[in-house]
Amino acid sequence: MTDILRSWIGGALPDWLIVLIAYLLVTLIVLFYAVGNFIMMVWAERRVIARMQDRLGPNRVGPAGLLQPIADAVKMFTKEDIVPRNADRWVHLLAPIVALAPVAMMLAVVPWGRGWEPIDLNVALLYIVAVSAVSGVGLMMAGWGSNNKFALLGAMRAVAQLVSYEIPAVTALLTVVVLAGGMSLLDLPYMQAGVPIMGATILCGDPAGCSPLLYSTVTSFPGSPNEPVQALDLGLGWWVFTPVGFLGFLVFFIAALAEGERTPFDIPEADSEIVAGYMTEYSGMKFATFYIAQYILNFALSALAATAFLGGWQGPGVAALANMGGPWVHVAAALSAFYLLAKIWILFFVMIWLRGAFPRLRVDQLMDFAWKLLLPLALVNIVSASLMVGLTQWTSAQWGGLVNLDGFAPWQRQLIAVLVTAIINIAAAYWILAINQRPREAEWDEEELVIAP
Amino acid sequence: MNTLITVLFLIFAAIILASAIMTVTVKNIVHAALWLISSFFGVGALYLLMEAEFLGVAQVLIYVGAVSILILFAIMLTRDLEGSQNRQLTPRWWIALIVPAALFSLLIVPTVMTHAWQLPPPPPAGQPPAISGAQQIGAAFMREYLLPFEVAAILLTVAMIGAIVVAFEERERRRRVLTLAEQVRLRQRQQQRQQPAPRPEPAATAVQPSEATGSET
Amino acid sequence: MTTEIQTETTEIQTTRGKVYVIDRGRTTLRAGQGLLTGLEVVFRHFRDALTRKLERPSQQTGVFTVQYPEERLKLPEAFRNFPILLYDDETGQELCTSCFQCQRICPPQVIHMTQARDPATGKPVPAVAEFLIEYDACMSCGLCAEVCPFDAIKMDHEFEYSTDVHGGLTLNKEALNRPISYYEKIAPTFWAEVKDSAMKKLQGNMKRRPDLIGVAPQMIEKIKAKRAEAAAQAPAPAPAAPEAAPVDKAARLAAARARAAEKAAEAVPEPATDSAPTDKAARLAAIRAANAAKKAAAEGAALAADAAPPASGMPADKAARLAAIRAANAAKKAAAEGAAPAADAAPPVVESAAPAADAAPPASSMPADKAARLAAIRAANAAKKAAAQRDGSEE
Repeated sequence: MTDILRSWIGGALPDWLIVLIAYLLVTLIVLFYAVGNFIMMVWAERRVIARMQDRLGPNRVGPAGLLQPIADAVKMFTKEDIVPRNADRWVHLLAPIVALAPVAMMLAVVPWGRGWEPIDLNVALLYIVAVSAVSGVGLMMAGWGSNNKFALLGAMRAVAQLVSYEIPAVTALLTVVVLAGGMSLLDLPYMQAGVPIMGATILCGDPAGCSPLLYSTVTSFPGSPNEPVQALDLGLGWWVFTPVGFLGFLVFFIAALAEGERTPFDIPEADSEIVAGYMTEYSGMKFATFYIAQYILNFALSALAATAFLGGWQGPGVAALANMGGPWVHVAAALSAFYLLAKIWILFFVMIWLRGAFPRLRVDQLMDFAWKLLLPLALVNIVSASLMVGLTQWTSAQWGGLVNLDGFAPWQRQLIAVLVTAIINIAAAYWILAINQRPREAEWDEEELVIAP
Repeated sequence: MNTLITVLFLIFAAIILASAIMTVTVKNIVHAALWLISSFFGVGALYLLMEAEFLGVAQVLIYVGAVSILILFAIMLTRDLEGSQNRQLTPRWWIALIVPAALFSLLIVPTVMTHAWQLPPPPPAGQPPAISGAQQIGAAFMREYLLPFEVAAILLTVAMIGAIVVAFEERERRRRVLTLAEQVRLRQRQQQRQQPAPRPEPAATAVQPSEATGSET
Repeated sequence: MTTEIQTETTEIQTTRGKVYVIDRGRTTLRAGQGLLTGLEVVFRHFRDALTRKLERPSQQTGVFTVQYPEERLKLPEAFRNFPILLYDDETGQELCTSCFQCQRICPPQVIHMTQARDPATGKPVPAVAEFLIEYDACMSCGLCAEVCPFDAIKMDHEFEYSTDVHGGLTLNKEALNRPISYYEKIAPTFWAEVKDSAMKKLQGNMKRRPDLIGVAPQMIEKIKAKRAEAAAQAPAPAPAAPEAAPVDKAARLAAARARAAEKAAEAVPEPATDSAPTDKAARLAAIRAANAAKKAAAEGAALAADAAPPASGMPADKAARLAAIRAANAAKKAAAEGAAPAADAAPPVVESAAPAADAAPPASSMPADKAARLAAIRAANAAKKAAAQRDGSEE
């Protein structure tokens, strides 16, 4: 973006101003992209959940109800902004902003398409986690500033949930860090080129005879860490197809549901229990701000999950188009952006689907689920990820002579790694599920039992 | 670029100092915690200004995302949040001012006096060594500072085990209360034990599925 | 996933009360299996809702939404919203006779009406002059329709009355009127049940309504046009009508007078001699009978009894019959009324009551029609009863 602006208005403006304008433009584009998606998500959620409940959903405003979010927005804007008399005025005012700002900041590091990256941050994954943790402060401020018991209860629940589900989420993302050897999000889609399960390990035997439509140059994992090779690339080497990636994706997605306060985990705003949680005392635009924050958080988490495990913008045809060079690169970028958007929307559909199917968890069930099931699984997954990297990339010397795979072809090493990690992950999943079963009733000792009055 | 960075540094420094002062002067302790968070943010921004992204992000993650949340949690459990009965200053506040000032100067003054300051600093020769990337920090933990790292890890583990032990003691003392479903199943088994053939009961009026009866203690 | 369901109910006594447990024969689910089943069910609903509507009740999936303004469910016959008034399609005659039953029973008291009066005589007729219902306060209880003895007020199925004009929901007779055919369409079985009696009552009432009184306002023009048409088309039968009309009218008049006499009997009795001049034999005799009955309150039932036989003996004229019935009623009432206040001065009255009873048999032996006889018998019975009562009170 900066380069484009430089070429357009070259010397007319000082360089720092051009940089600033470029950043501003990119920020605006990303924010509008997110807000546009938010509007569509609100509409889609209402329509889809309606179909799941055998209804039609909003279909009056505009064609198929598409303008319903606009009508909602108009309503939100024109509503009276009420601040409770004994509320902490400033905290009450700042809370929605503190909740929304970090969520919007998360969008900055996501690669939205091939070559469409707002910021190249080398600690992007950690940045996303850190920034999403900040929104907890906003929720706490909302709960406390409202001077309302339901709001405070909701905020307490929200923050407790955020803090405990951050740990499985981060641990699941750690597998990605181990696999990728870094925390930058930009490299992740490039690393997920290739074919399912095998990744980019099926190399081209004869560099001259390989069509650029099927083969592309891969510089890093899996296979050969540093020297560029020609590998079969269908754009489907997503990590979710490997055992490590699959488990990591499951854990991360569930944790993301909890962080985004989606339905099985919508305890903080359980409307049947505590009205609307921390949003109880909010109305008008402040409420809308929370609402936007929540949906954009879901959007960002879906984008993160898609980028980290589902290949990001990677998909069939992107590499081929990019290899054709010239204007096709831009077509490839557009196609890749479409792929990422499609993945985000599929994940969002799953979120709606879960909302349509499952009831809300209890708080203790929520905590049990995070600490007794997701966290151990994620920890086991890190071990698997390390093994995966070791089996596919390490030389015999790095293993200290314990394992010698130097003679094998990359696809053979990949296959071995997949098998080993699959065994480990399945065994661990079985074991952890088994020890999480409820104690058998035969173990009850009747004298110790207390019958409730 | 340098002036811009200087200006930004001054802004962040002012924010940090102002927030820190507000933290210790406001009466309402929730506000104090919020000012503290703002101060943490300023520190994170300073790290970013130094191009230490990892440290900056870690600062935000740990101090804003975790520590301050815990502080807020603790505060929510205290009484007199408004701080209406708290006195900010005691009659001997000047003693409290002198002692830390003396300690601070004891530590800082020799450094300031002895250090060979080069103003302005010499231009960096070539690529300066990155000091704060995740890989550097990891390498440092695993090689140079392995022993302190491990000791800290053991300390934290012990603390965690202690917390669990405390929590479990609490759990032991708590009596187990059966859910209705569990109670029903228990009675069922007792009946079966006493009379092998369970008597069939015709035409129940208030019928509840066994699953629906549970989940409430 | 669905296993064979065998319901075996067991009863378990817990400390928290009795619990009935149904064993559904559930197989144990593996971890997550139940969740997946739930997802599958929800997805099936989602998929089917995209493609089809819920048409049969046995169908489990499909959109059940009825897009209201465009699509409507058929309302059940017994659906009730706001009351309406019915009128006859042919004649335009309203079924309402302004009996005030609905006005009395209406819990929120939103029904108001005034009775129509004959412009010629100023006497009330069994028709309604104006009828108001405040729909905005109506609670749709349907009591007015339940209580209406003429099936004139019924509950409508129309429910779209949203308006921003508050006063617009107070409806007058013209707005309330619906033809019977309309009601027959929305509630065919209900109307079939009451049709005969309602129409019969309407025929009776129509006779007592002068000219266009009681005709639905929106039908007046039509009826007039129809009449003019009929008059133009058939000049021949026209004379017959005027001929019949006076008779009818006279009969009605007589009836009205008889009723007036009834009323008067309740009030201070005064000698009713103004109608004495003898002109038209039968009918006036009947009127006289009524007057006599009125007198009887003061003088005794004897005269009434005397007067009755001639009345019953008249040729089979409906008016006469009616008059006779009225006379009988009047006699009854007079006797009864004379009984209570004048218990001390009874003897002469008792004595005069006896001849009334004697006078009855001749009436029954008359060759006149059945109704007249019946009236006479009733008169006799009333007289007898009065006598018996007087006996009782004397003792």
